[in-house]
Amino acid sequence: MLLFRHILLASHGTLGAIAAEDMALQICADNGMIDHLIVVPEFWQGMTGDDWLNNGVTRDQFQSYLQTELGREIDQQCQRLHRKISASACTYSSLIQFGRPDQALLQCTKKQRYDLVVLGSPRPRRMPDLMALRSTMLTKQLVTAMQTAILVAPYPK
Amino acid sequence: MIYTQKKPALLIIGLLMLAIWFGVDTGLLNPVLAHLSSGKPYKYLNEISSLPLYFGVVAVVTGCWHWLGPHEEGQLDYYSSTIAGGMLILLITMLIRWFIAPQIEVISVDLGLIGNTGKYIHELLGLNYVVLGIVAGIIIANVFKVPDWARNGVRLSRLGLKTGVILLGALYSAAELKNLGGLSIIMIGFFVLGSVGIVLWIGSRRNISNSMGGVLSAGMGVCGVSATVAVAPVVQAKPVEIAYTIGTILLWGVGCMFAFPIIGHLLDMSYVQFGAWAGTGILNSAQVVGAALAFQPDGIETLMVAEIFNITRVLILPVIVLWLAIWYVKREGTTSSGTTSSGINVGQVIITKFPVFVLGFILMFALSTTGMFAPASHYQGKYFGNTPAQGFKQENLLNAEQTEQLRAEIIVIDENEDRVAVNRLIKNGKIMTIEDDNAIRSIINAGTLSDEATAILSAAHDAVRHTARKIEAFRQWITWLFAFGLVGLGMQITVSSMKQAGGEPAIIGGIVGFIKAALSLIVVILLIGDTV
Repeated sequence: MLLFRHILLASHGTLGAIAAEDMALQICADNGMIDHLIVVPEFWQGMTGDDWLNNGVTRDQFQSYLQTELGREIDQQCQRLHRKISASACTYSSLIQFGRPDQALLQCTKKQRYDLVVLGSPRPRRMPDLMALRSTMLTKQLVTAMQTAILVAPYPK
Repeated sequence: MIYTQKKPALLIIGLLMLAIWFGVDTGLLNPVLAHLSSGKPYKYLNEISSLPLYFGVVAVVTGCWHWLGPHEEGQLDYYSSTIAGGMLILLITMLIRWFIAPQIEVISVDLGLIGNTGKYIHELLGLNYVVLGIVAGIIIANVFKVPDWARNGVRLSRLGLKTGVILLGALYSAAELKNLGGLSIIMIGFFVLGSVGIVLWIGSRRNISNSMGGVLSAGMGVCGVSATVAVAPVVQAKPVEIAYTIGTILLWGVGCMFAFPIIGHLLDMSYVQFGAWAGTGILNSAQVVGAALAFQPDGIETLMVAEIFNITRVLILPVIVLWLAIWYVKREGTTSSGTTSSGINVGQVIITKFPVFVLGFILMFALSTTGMFAPASHYQGKYFGNTPAQGFKQENLLNAEQTEQLRAEIIVIDENEDRVAVNRLIKNGKIMTIEDDNAIRSIINAGTLSDEATAILSAAHDAVRHTARKIEAFRQWITWLFAFGLVGLGMQITVSSMKQAGGEPAIIGGIVGFIKAALSLIVVILLIGDTV
């Protein structure tokens, strides 16, 4: 079986992403490295939407609460995956980015050379997943621009 | 951090504004204005021949400073940086109000009346400068992206809306405020508490988390995104729950903003009825304002009713935040900060969530009752006068043809007192009392007579009602402030936020949103008259 030494794994803990994590662990060489990419989608920036009735204090409170919660969720995901990867013979490191998920992934592959990029499949329609937001990483733009091999793990049945 | 960006954008905006003014002032734009007004006098001539000059000069001077001046960190830099975004919104508002919306009206009139509705397509779909402004904002934010130099100023649009509400306070009479306030407290109280309760009940049946139920009930029940923002930290909503809720509210709100005016026109609702319905049935407060101005773009009577409902909602918000905080703590035992139900600081919640701008609205209303903006004899910013000494012009007396037209149609009027008022108008050739004028206004709003007869009644009404100059200026400013604010708010609605609508929140939101809109429509049609 062909094994890879340096893998970029995109995961934010959804069912599809967990399938990608399992697959990355299967194909990572002993003492190989898995870089965990977690992206905070740019739409959070506009999440106060068209609110205009609240005062500045309330809006600041909301923004700081949201920031803390997003940070906490990311920490949880990183710690979980760190434990999972450390239990195998691979090394873990995390990359946290803000912006469009596909652009963030492309940026990572431009900064660092990887043997393989592993992603989860987009969530099938009508498949409930309370962790999931509508923010696809696997876009046509990504596939066209990507210079590294991509492995898309099938969505778990 | 230095916020002001060294770019020529603001200078270019200023030059474009001055170009518009120059085109109008020299007559270069006359053929365009004549085309847009279809032969009638161009209705925005006063505005277009002054506003672009004033704001153009400000934009050019500030634009030169932005582009070429030295900038240092500090308050002045921050506030000065907002001017670029503010002027961008203003330019878009000008282009839409003066050129794009009238052009759409011309095309729509060319297409002819739609079926037997008696209305043109732009009237039916509410395609006026307000709706087009919000749509333009959404398109700019999502297709072109708001440029970095304009971001700070775009946030300023909230200030436009709040200032508009404050100025609006000067236009209500004590009786109107009392009647509208009473009506809105009953309607909002019933529908807000009802929707919050229903969402919590459905949520518990469908096993959604307490935090999800809490944040969704506030958003669906009170004032949409604003309530979600206020309540999310209190009920410790998870980010994904916030995203689902805000996505659902934005999608539903934008849909309602287009659907409500169409339904309102199809049902021939009066300004009061529509304002009350939009103020109760539309989830999101920004879209309430949009729908009210879309329904009546060239007047603010609908906005005045809808805004009282908006104010009532936002005044109820601290109470709902408290309710949900106690409900959540009771269910979960404690919050992350260790607060228990007995430890909730009621005073702090009320003070931090209190909408300060409402105090400005009350202050303006109080000042207007002293006669500061209009002579004491003025009522509702207008005064009644049907003698030459009071400003009535003899040429406004009804002629024989007009009285004949009214006589032929009087049978259609249901209310006895309305018929009496029209009979008195026919007999005297002018409206004789304030009570008769109110009855005539109610017939106009109801739209039961033919267009010709309604036009005769409107002319008779205009002949005896005179608007104070200051109040007229307030009306102009209010219209502009709301148009400005709504274009800016459109720029803050992202499709990626709306795309997050889904899952349980979308199902529950859809059910509750529909019930609220349909029930409030029935209540409004059955219980609310044409005037207050």
